[in-house]
Amino acid sequence: MSKLDSHLAKVLKDFSISYLSKRQNAFECLDFEALRAQLAEVKDRTIGQLQKYLKQFEEQARKHGSQVLHARDGEEANRLILDILKKHGARKLVKGKSMVSEEIELNEFLTKQGIEPRETDLGEWIVQLDRERPTHMVMPAIHLTRKEVAGIFSRYLGKEVPEEIPALVRIAREELRREIFSAPAGLSGANALIAENGAIMLVTNEGNGRLVSTIPPVHIVLASIEKVLPSTQDALLLLKLLPRNATGQAITSYVSFIAGPHKEAQYIILLDNHRSRILADQKFKEILRCIKCSACLNVCPVYKTLGGKEFSHIYMGGIGTLLTAWIHGLRQSKKLAGLCLGCHRCEEYCAAKIKIADLILALRERLNEELGKPFWKRLAFEGVMGHSKFHRNAFLLAGKATSIISERDGFLRNLPLFLKKYDRFRSLPAPASKSLSQLFKKSFPREKVKKARGKIILYPGCLVEHFYPQIGLAASKVLRALGYQVESAPALCCGFPSANGGFNSASRRAYKKLITKLDDSNYIITLCPTCATMFTQIGPKLLDSEQAEDLAKKAFPFSRFLLEKEKQKCSDLFPSEASARCVTYHESCHHNYILKASDASKKIIQMAVGKEILEMKDPESCCGFAGSFSVDHPEISEALLEEKLALIKNSGAEIVALDCPGCLLQIRGGCHRKGYPIAVKHTAELLAERLKN
Amino acid sequence: MVRSELVKLFIRKAIASGAEVDRFSTEREAADFVVAFLKEKGIERIIAAQDSQLLFKDKKGVSFFEARASEDFLQAEAGLVMADYGVAETGTLVRLDENDKEKMTWTLPPLCLCLLGTERIVPSLEDISEVFSKHLSQIEIPSPQVSLVTGPSRTADIENELSIGVHGPSCLKILVVEGKTK
Repeated sequence: MSKLDSHLAKVLKDFSISYLSKRQNAFECLDFEALRAQLAEVKDRTIGQLQKYLKQFEEQARKHGSQVLHARDGEEANRLILDILKKHGARKLVKGKSMVSEEIELNEFLTKQGIEPRETDLGEWIVQLDRERPTHMVMPAIHLTRKEVAGIFSRYLGKEVPEEIPALVRIAREELRREIFSAPAGLSGANALIAENGAIMLVTNEGNGRLVSTIPPVHIVLASIEKVLPSTQDALLLLKLLPRNATGQAITSYVSFIAGPHKEAQYIILLDNHRSRILADQKFKEILRCIKCSACLNVCPVYKTLGGKEFSHIYMGGIGTLLTAWIHGLRQSKKLAGLCLGCHRCEEYCAAKIKIADLILALRERLNEELGKPFWKRLAFEGVMGHSKFHRNAFLLAGKATSIISERDGFLRNLPLFLKKYDRFRSLPAPASKSLSQLFKKSFPREKVKKARGKIILYPGCLVEHFYPQIGLAASKVLRALGYQVESAPALCCGFPSANGGFNSASRRAYKKLITKLDDSNYIITLCPTCATMFTQIGPKLLDSEQAEDLAKKAFPFSRFLLEKEKQKCSDLFPSEASARCVTYHESCHHNYILKASDASKKIIQMAVGKEILEMKDPESCCGFAGSFSVDHPEISEALLEEKLALIKNSGAEIVALDCPGCLLQIRGGCHRKGYPIAVKHTAELLAERLKN
Repeated sequence: MVRSELVKLFIRKAIASGAEVDRFSTEREAADFVVAFLKEKGIERIIAAQDSQLLFKDKKGVSFFEARASEDFLQAEAGLVMADYGVAETGTLVRLDENDKEKMTWTLPPLCLCLLGTERIVPSLEDISEVFSKHLSQIEIPSPQVSLVTGPSRTADIENELSIGVHGPSCLKILVVEGKTK
């Protein structure tokens, strides 16, 4: 944890918990899914005719006496603002919160020109006095403690100030009022530009937005072009989602609609800064739907662990990674793109239905194409995994060496020092001495099951194939008990890890090879949610073939198959008396957010154990495995695992069930390291143990 | 929703947002309350939007001062305005302001008193979106504004802990009066 700040981790963790419950209350009686679908539709429709609506906005705003200016890029916007300030003889500019002004680094520019920019949002002001950048779009100074803020204020005022939040807020009120009343010009952003009447909408809590737009004689509005919306009604739709999704408030303290100048003049600067380029890209244009609510940050496991200072260029987190790539350049986005776990949680919460995690995958591919591929990933994804024989033989060889490299309990002996960071926090499994396909031949000779109800091909995924074959055997046992003939798929990688690393052609090759080797069957049953994602979603997109489409319809995650196709029969499989042991359930990210199959798993488990699951707190929080992520970022992986283990332990359960072999590796290894007497089981294992007879 | 339910919902939501709410059956009663309240608090420097000044025409013990320049607003201890609408869903007050002075009256002083007629309460913002639209389209007014205010000014910028009264009022008192007002 050395690289991570423990105060920050605590604040962010508390925030993410309080955020979720406040948000839930704020959306009470509202249909979030319907609202965000509506917003996405309005946004798409508007950016589809962006020039038309911008023109209408401009005409209407001019009628009110506003002056509308266009800036191609940040440099031009900075120049325009400087010219306005010079024209009005202003040497100071008071600012409301504006992420766009951060984007174009306005403060740095004005300071160099001898003009004093003064932030008036409390968080922004603190960060400015500390010569830092915001680390959260809505709460810019979330990384600082009250003690640190008191220190910053003391240095600024040249006198000691108390380390109490109300006192600090009072100081800000007094100081900033003085600044606002003495400034000849104020700048604000805009949450929406309304085309039908030329008004802007400003959403704030503190009230500084009202002051900087009302008190100084000159008001400058800096807004990026995708902020335009056709009507007031559309702006109200945005308002229904924005505060609820941003801070869990039904509405903020202040919302102002302003049409035309209050006093001397109002200038509205419409900034493009690469947005027209984004708009022209069919794949990425949906990022222009973003309303900057920052829900994607609030729920991101990596943001929660690292904070916005590490996980940002200027824009933060998942959406920030995408905006950075387009606005500040691919190179600047490279580190950020590597920080995405690919858990897809952000997509569940995005107010505008942006497929953030999917787009980060696409971005990784572009990064590989344009900036070159990292060596170890090329070796892994294009070298080893790209060649099925090599891949298989490496594991078989390792399996043979198992007795030398591992302890009796199935975990590796301690790793050498230079690899220590990977197994310090979790024991790593040793490869099984016999792979699933080898065991399968022995356990279930290829005979026809009498009066079989159909044929199932079991696709175990690499971890089950080579490390946890017992999960595969357990699943077959259950499926055979239902009367199916079960066969194991050839030991070939599905190609997901390559796609996840941005190696689409390697992924396509792998998936194509796999599916040509699959026999005909009624169903493909998967034991790993990422493989299931490959069969049901990524594969068909990569290959665009009839066979891939056909497989997508036949492929089911194990638990969903049982619940959707065999619910009735399943109830006869398990004894009527309840299990003596208590089971909790960990919701694996891909199983949960992409396949949406956690409920199916819980229902089927409850059926098997004959009683309710003992819910842990925050069952959906990520365990930190995420495939190659835990190799790239062991310290984040460790922090997330620590948290997960605490939640599991506090649940009081003796068994934690889950549906992802990756999570199983991480959590089982973590429990082993800590000496927790908790059994970690794949749903298939749990079910097989509960079978009658 | 019947009117009485709507009023109840508005009051519940306004209180949840941190506002204080009192109910009166007539404007006269509300005005009497304001006079007594200000006297009790020892507040003397009050500014008021024109619409609400009328209520106090014949009241003794309360006088309003006129703010000529922006700086004058800083002297005021309380601001008195009348809301055009109340939004029950969120406990929000709505004013269709026509100039910056009206807006500053309920933004700058630390105490904000706002009168609201029960008949002016609507279920949600969508119910008055047409009104907003119309108001904002007027070009004969120099700067049409719509202000939505919900609870006192707030921030959670330090350690995500709630504090009130950053840039706007730290106390918002809503006087709900039976009938129409204005």
